[in-house]
Amino acid sequence: MTKRYQNRIEILQGTLDLLILQTLQWGPQHGYGISQAIRISSGDVLDVETGSLYPALHRLEREGWIKSEWKVSDNNQRVKEYRIMAAGKRQLAAERSRWERLSSAIAGVLKPAEE
Amino acid sequence: MKLPMWRRWQREELDEEIRSHIAMAVRERVERGENPAEAEVRVRREFGNEVQVKEVTHDMWGWTWVERLWQDLRYGARMLAKSPGFTVIAVVTLALGIGANTSIFSIINAALLRNLPVPNPQELVVVGDPSRVHSLSTGSPQTSIFSTDLYRELQRNQDVFTGLAATSDLSGAPTVTIDNGAPERIYGRLVSGNYFSVLGVNAVQGSVFTGEDDNEHGAKPVVVISYKYWKRRFHQDANVIGKTIRLDGYPLTIVGVTPKEFTGEVVGDYQDMWVPMMLQPQVMPGRDYVHSQTSYWLTLIGRMKPGLTFAQTKSQLDVTFSRIANSGFASKYTKSEQDDLKKAKLEVYPGGKGISGFRKRMSEPLVLMMLVVGLVLLIACVNVANLMLARSASRQREIAVRLAIGATTSRIVRQVLTESVMLACLGGTLGLIVAQWGTKALPFMVPNRSGEVPLDTSPDPVVLTFTFLVCVLTGILFGLVPALRARRVQLTSALNSEMRSGSVSGGGASRWSAGRILVAAQVTLSVLVLFIAGLLMQTLRNLQQVDTGYERHNLVVMRIDPRVAGHKGSNYIAFCNDLLQRIRSLPGVTSATYSGNGLFSGSESDSGIVIAGQANLSEKDRQVFNDTVGPNYFSALNVPMLQGRDIGPQDIGEHPKVAVINEAMARKYFGEQNALGQVFHVDDDEHVDIPLQVVGVARDIRDHSLTDAIGPRFYTPVNLQDLPGEIKFEVRTTGNAESVVRDIRGVVKSVDPALKIPSINTLDGLIDDWMDSQIFVAQLSGFFAGLALVLACVGLYGISAYSVAMRTRELGVRMALGAKPRDVIGMVLKEGFLIVLVGAAVGVPAAIAGSHLLRSMLFEVTSYDPRALTVSLTVLVAVGFFASYLPARKASRVDPMVSLRYE
Repeated sequence: MTKRYQNRIEILQGTLDLLILQTLQWGPQHGYGISQAIRISSGDVLDVETGSLYPALHRLEREGWIKSEWKVSDNNQRVKEYRIMAAGKRQLAAERSRWERLSSAIAGVLKPAEE
Repeated sequence: MKLPMWRRWQREELDEEIRSHIAMAVRERVERGENPAEAEVRVRREFGNEVQVKEVTHDMWGWTWVERLWQDLRYGARMLAKSPGFTVIAVVTLALGIGANTSIFSIINAALLRNLPVPNPQELVVVGDPSRVHSLSTGSPQTSIFSTDLYRELQRNQDVFTGLAATSDLSGAPTVTIDNGAPERIYGRLVSGNYFSVLGVNAVQGSVFTGEDDNEHGAKPVVVISYKYWKRRFHQDANVIGKTIRLDGYPLTIVGVTPKEFTGEVVGDYQDMWVPMMLQPQVMPGRDYVHSQTSYWLTLIGRMKPGLTFAQTKSQLDVTFSRIANSGFASKYTKSEQDDLKKAKLEVYPGGKGISGFRKRMSEPLVLMMLVVGLVLLIACVNVANLMLARSASRQREIAVRLAIGATTSRIVRQVLTESVMLACLGGTLGLIVAQWGTKALPFMVPNRSGEVPLDTSPDPVVLTFTFLVCVLTGILFGLVPALRARRVQLTSALNSEMRSGSVSGGGASRWSAGRILVAAQVTLSVLVLFIAGLLMQTLRNLQQVDTGYERHNLVVMRIDPRVAGHKGSNYIAFCNDLLQRIRSLPGVTSATYSGNGLFSGSESDSGIVIAGQANLSEKDRQVFNDTVGPNYFSALNVPMLQGRDIGPQDIGEHPKVAVINEAMARKYFGEQNALGQVFHVDDDEHVDIPLQVVGVARDIRDHSLTDAIGPRFYTPVNLQDLPGEIKFEVRTTGNAESVVRDIRGVVKSVDPALKIPSINTLDGLIDDWMDSQIFVAQLSGFFAGLALVLACVGLYGISAYSVAMRTRELGVRMALGAKPRDVIGMVLKEGFLIVLVGAAVGVPAAIAGSHLLRSMLFEVTSYDPRALTVSLTVLVAVGFFASYLPARKASRVDPMVSLRYE
């Protein structure tokens, strides 16, 4: 069963990184908030599983693209907040352009089939 | 599981993070109107497997492998503790195998690999032959060992070294007395003033030599002692500096003590002290090498200037030397010597590992021994692999359970390997202890000049690293088989209770199970080891039976130097004759004689000769080995004279007029002609007017080697012209060598109490010394062959017993159906025999092929020596029979009813 999770992380890895970094671009956020934000802004299409989210967050932190900090929320709950770093912003730009190239490539393949 | 602090803190943080995530999700649902309890259930379900999420996240941190390793180690330890019998046998087997390897490697490390304990040993260079450690030459100049003036000339003209030092042996059995105490034999070196600065050694007490203590003008009467000597004789007294010791009567003041790890530049010989070389004539009375132009006694060591490579240094030195050979310096030599000098090539070698006579002799034998112990270790590995296989059969269930609850096969393989490496490391630790004891015993089997080999074989980082690597490799090697077996475990059949007897999945019932193959491999390896041992022992036996041409038993050889007691010239000869008479009249002595070079005494002379009537001999053909001998030399040694007569007392005198030549010389130079009456003389200025007439032809004898071909040789009577320095007395005894030796010592003391006897030995003892490396390999390989045999026997017994146990049911059925016990035994024996046969079939051609590599160490033994082969095979078959018979008998005795019920 562990295998299943690992496979999912690998397939979506680059894309998940992109989504997380983009979300944090708007401001620091905790894990729960990040998953909610992605769900909402994708129109409920992308529901990130916690089994993928948390490993991804810790991996991104290890790479140095995001940094975490424990804060106390409005209702006196301790939450671990992540924020994007300069290196993360650079990584985000790289991932975006990669994604754009990929999607236009796929679009190019799909187009002739329509005709 | 107790984790390090910060890891626990990381896990706690993650726990809290997840808790807060869940709390927030629940709050949101509650805010939307859900029931809190329901909301929590839903959120948790949505979250997924919390444990799994945590696990995967932990993986991201990258430390999981450490935790897994720790888990595996603890699990393995538990498993090993559960089966103490297995663990003990496996550990002991491995300890023997790994210990033997560590032992031999320690010696190889100390003798061949280790650098001198000095700064930047790679900068050191030896000029001269590094294996001629105790050499002294007289005669014509050479480049393997140097005279004082050649050294100084080289020192003056070279520009590649920051310093060039010279060292030589403090020979002649020097003794030291401290404060009128008893004289003690010591070992030391004569060294130039810059010796310690070239090597880079500083004193731990006082100071070492400087250029002021010894230089071309002379030397101060000082001495530097070694740490060991300081400890032994002065008990590390700090007031030792300034104390006086007497070296053969000559007073020397101690100025320094060397560090503990420094034992000199000679590997395989410990040094007690270092004396300035310019003091040589004083500390060795009667012999002056310092001022003699024709004495070659120095080995040179230099430290290269920074930035120079060895190749550059060598070529520059060659240039410098040829310049010297063509300069005015060389004009003091004779014409032929000058020519030799011009053609000579300097011998230059890297000096970081010091100089050693022991090293050259023992390199090949040691490497061979490394191979043999490697084979023994493989055999031990196979044994342990088999043990683990048998054990893994009973662990199938445990493995199946682990697979069922989610372990991956690779995890299980990893765990089995961890366990086996752990086992190997346990064995290795015990092996280190075994090696410590073993290595202390080994060097005494490798005698050298001083009777022991004080190689520093205490474990150093290199040896420990080697041992650790061997452990890991060994563990992986023998762990691989059961680990791979574990992968093939099938869940359902393994969990089934049927597993416990009979068919082990993976084929215990098949003819050629892994276990059987392993034992066959063991047999192959054992054949190799036995065969090698057989060849080496046969070589030793052959050597011991070589006909020397004379009766080699019951002969005592004594070396003394009358010059030490002040005897010179005709006084020297008179003294020798007098001593000879006294020795001859001792009880137990049948005859005696003396000679300059003698038998197996390590000294040789060769000279160029000119034969009347043979003007055009080649350069090489003109050099002939020779000796100066006393009266009745050949009859004393029982060497038959083929023609003419022996050297007689009348021939001993001022000038030699006659010579006896050996068969080889007669054949080579005079062929069919009658050698008697022929005339020749030694080709140098002093001998040109001294013709020698051949008065006798003696049988060829072996006087310095058992294996070299016998070359031409001539013998002249001892005479004033060619007075030997050290002289050897050969004494034929009737039997009891010990009492004769005692008597001889007494006689020498009564004639001249000042005279020392550097050595007195039986010829058998001297020949044994000459054969020391062959004795070493024969004895050691014999020991390891025995060890291999024991291990193979245990292995064969184990597999037989195991297979019988596995087939108890089947055998029970057979006997119930009418098979007699005899048939059962026969069946088991046949299987055991088959394994040995297969193993031998592979082993014999491998052994024969491999023995070709041993060519250089064998003597009169063919590579497929039938005797060694037959003996090896017979022994193995016997062992195989014996090992299979016992379990077979046990099986045949089992009551069929019991075995059928056996579950």
